[in-house]
Amino acid sequence: MRKMIGLTLMSLAMAGSAHAAGETLNVGMASADAGKLDPHVATSTPDKGLLHWMFNGLVRIKPGEANPADIEPDIAESWTSSEDGLTWTFTLRQDVDCHGDYGPLDAEDVVFSLNRAADPDISAFADGYAAFESVEATGDHEVTIKLKNPVPSLLGLLVPYHGGNIVCKDAVEALGTEFERTPIGTGPFMFEEYQPQQYVKLVANPEYFRGEPQIKEIFYRYIPSDSSRDLAFQSGEIDMIYGKQDQTWVERISEVPGTKVAVMTPGEMSVIHLNMTMPPLDDVRVRRAVAHAIDRDALVEFKGPDVTLAAVSPVPEGNLGYTGDVPTYEFSVEKAKALLAEAGHPDGVTIKAIHTTLPGMLTTMEAVQALLREADINLEIETVEHATFHEQIRKDLSQVTHYAAARFPVADVYLSQFFHSDAIVGKPTAVANFSHCDVADEEITAARVETDDKKQLELWAEAQRKIMDEVCAVPLVQSLQLWAWKDTLDLGVEVNGSLNLSPPVTEAARFSE
Amino acid sequence: MTAFVLKRLGFAVITLFAVLTIVFFIVRVLPGDPAMAILGDQASQAALNALRARLGLDQPLYVQYLQFLGGVVVGDWGVSMVSGRPVIQEILKVLPATLELTFVSLVLGAAVGIPLGVWSAVRRNKLPDYITRMASLLGLSFPAFVSAVLLLIVFAIQLRWFPVISSGQGTTLSDRLRDLALPAVNLGLIMAAYITRVSRSAMLEVLNQDYVRTAHAKGLAFATIIWRHCLRNALIPVVTVVGLYLGILIGNSVLTEIVFNRPGLGKLIIGALNQRDYTMLQGMMVIYTLIVVLVNLITDLTYGLIDPRIKYS
Repeated sequence: MRKMIGLTLMSLAMAGSAHAAGETLNVGMASADAGKLDPHVATSTPDKGLLHWMFNGLVRIKPGEANPADIEPDIAESWTSSEDGLTWTFTLRQDVDCHGDYGPLDAEDVVFSLNRAADPDISAFADGYAAFESVEATGDHEVTIKLKNPVPSLLGLLVPYHGGNIVCKDAVEALGTEFERTPIGTGPFMFEEYQPQQYVKLVANPEYFRGEPQIKEIFYRYIPSDSSRDLAFQSGEIDMIYGKQDQTWVERISEVPGTKVAVMTPGEMSVIHLNMTMPPLDDVRVRRAVAHAIDRDALVEFKGPDVTLAAVSPVPEGNLGYTGDVPTYEFSVEKAKALLAEAGHPDGVTIKAIHTTLPGMLTTMEAVQALLREADINLEIETVEHATFHEQIRKDLSQVTHYAAARFPVADVYLSQFFHSDAIVGKPTAVANFSHCDVADEEITAARVETDDKKQLELWAEAQRKIMDEVCAVPLVQSLQLWAWKDTLDLGVEVNGSLNLSPPVTEAARFSE
Repeated sequence: MTAFVLKRLGFAVITLFAVLTIVFFIVRVLPGDPAMAILGDQASQAALNALRARLGLDQPLYVQYLQFLGGVVVGDWGVSMVSGRPVIQEILKVLPATLELTFVSLVLGAAVGIPLGVWSAVRRNKLPDYITRMASLLGLSFPAFVSAVLLLIVFAIQLRWFPVISSGQGTTLSDRLRDLALPAVNLGLIMAAYITRVSRSAMLEVLNQDYVRTAHAKGLAFATIIWRHCLRNALIPVVTVVGLYLGILIGNSVLTEIVFNRPGLGKLIIGALNQRDYTMLQGMMVIYTLIVVLVNLITDLTYGLIDPRIKYS
């Protein structure tokens, strides 16, 4: 009898899970549900990760990479720019089709898409397109972009990431508000079905201009519980899993037979910003003492060597414009103490930090606290709920602000948001300059409009050197993005990074067995 | 009877109004900003302000409150700030799944809990009593999300009888049962633990009554005394407690739904809380309040079925 119950349950379990093996990809994502699936609106990691497989841009970063130095043609097959960097002309491929019955894609669709991305009433990314003067179709398959002033990386704005996604005009107009539930693009996979709180199903686009994908359907499953997601991967119900930024996760998931773990850039960089207007941190010697007291190798060891990189510059490694050639402060408790004594604090100093209760960030800060204590720097941590933390640090209430962020990997973004004086918290133009750093304004501003690539890189490098010389902030570590998938899944490229934070599943991806 | 129900419904409206008011203000007092949750931490002040205006968050609080109350009265609960879909539609889409799970768990809990409680009371201070009491204590102290993971490890990973991800959209009976089995067992066992304890103590009280001794004395069969005479009288406290614990059951169903990845109010509320989706949270609180009020009403009406001496006036 017991055996019979078992068999019945087994057959129940088997029913319904029948699908063509080797052509269906099940992905487990850490989210309760889909948000708005409109590429000009979606900002969350789960939504961007899904849209990644459905849309193209005029250009793209080579699949598997995340550095804008690896930009290559996508919908545009070639482009030219004027001497002053203000006029850009793109020639489009002629074999690009919109998903479904929305016909071939032409210059009108591209113009419509970029104008939509720049429209603050629709787009979440309109700020990025502020320098756009006009976007015009100068031929059936030619688009001309005119700029008011040069921008640090025009091509970077045109990759399918934050606003650069090309949508099909007819589809947007025909679907209206339904578009955010039934996105129509030109990418290798097409939207097929949405089951609330369960999954979004994509199917292969047979007309894809790089060839029909070998994987025929993708189920993007919303599994908010970390342990259930891991168990579903272990039982084989999902083939690809969004990981936790955690060394123990890597170790645990690696034990599942036939698993490939991918560590991808861009990472989230942890930085402590030192408020240069508040004593004792207004003295550069105290800030340098803090820098000397931090043992980055110990932090990497603590956060997990497989998932963490040491950070030396205020711009993350792997960004366009990053330099490692900055003043560094080697770990030395003696030097830290000597600097403090020189600054008139022979018995050490006490500094205060308002900090989020988010466990991943808090453990890092507690490790920093322990390191600083060795050098007689007493770091008092006041913990508040995460949203309160975001409010309070923007009111300039914290002496030390620990901030972890991933940004579009061009040096300008990090430098402008965290270290340009326009971005100082409390100002109307505030973004996230918590240190009141203003030492590199000149270089940051000049680099934005510099059309000579080499000079631009040099300006960015100089800005990073100045910031580190003044120690506006102390970079700690970079935590990388983690995914895992079955080793029978061959993505067709080597995966080192992904701007959209999901691995590249393209026409080349297939199951080997 | 009708007057009683009407009066109770009248009170329900007042309760609902109070809950709505409290919820409306509490979600806005909570730290965090929906505009920032939607646009991310690198949005400019201008973009944040524009979005706040679009969501109506720039209006004075009392205007927002009046608009919200007016909307609720005419059945318009607004649209989700995150997904842009109507709140009521989002809730009604997943509500059946949660109700199904809660109902099945309740039935399971009663089917296991009442007999165990009775057995335990009858065999008071003997081995079965000790075992039952230990087991129910264990059930009470086990967090729902831990037992859920344990069930998954045993039945989905080791034995492979069930999938980890329930499909949530089974159309055939066997599919639905397969999706429901583990979550319902998880919740049902916790419920059973509560019911066992209550029915045991209620039974113990009844077993010492004079009429039980009389029944024994006039030679009624033991089973008849227990199941027909004692249990019926012990049921009133059990029903009361089941009604009260339904709130706990709904709370645990949130955790259970998340771990078993079932669609339902649980996943909805987690998403809404993380994103500070004010409109969605408000809508869900209305639903939860309605459920609790209705359950209390049903509990009160059940008393009359169990004990005909109870009159509603």
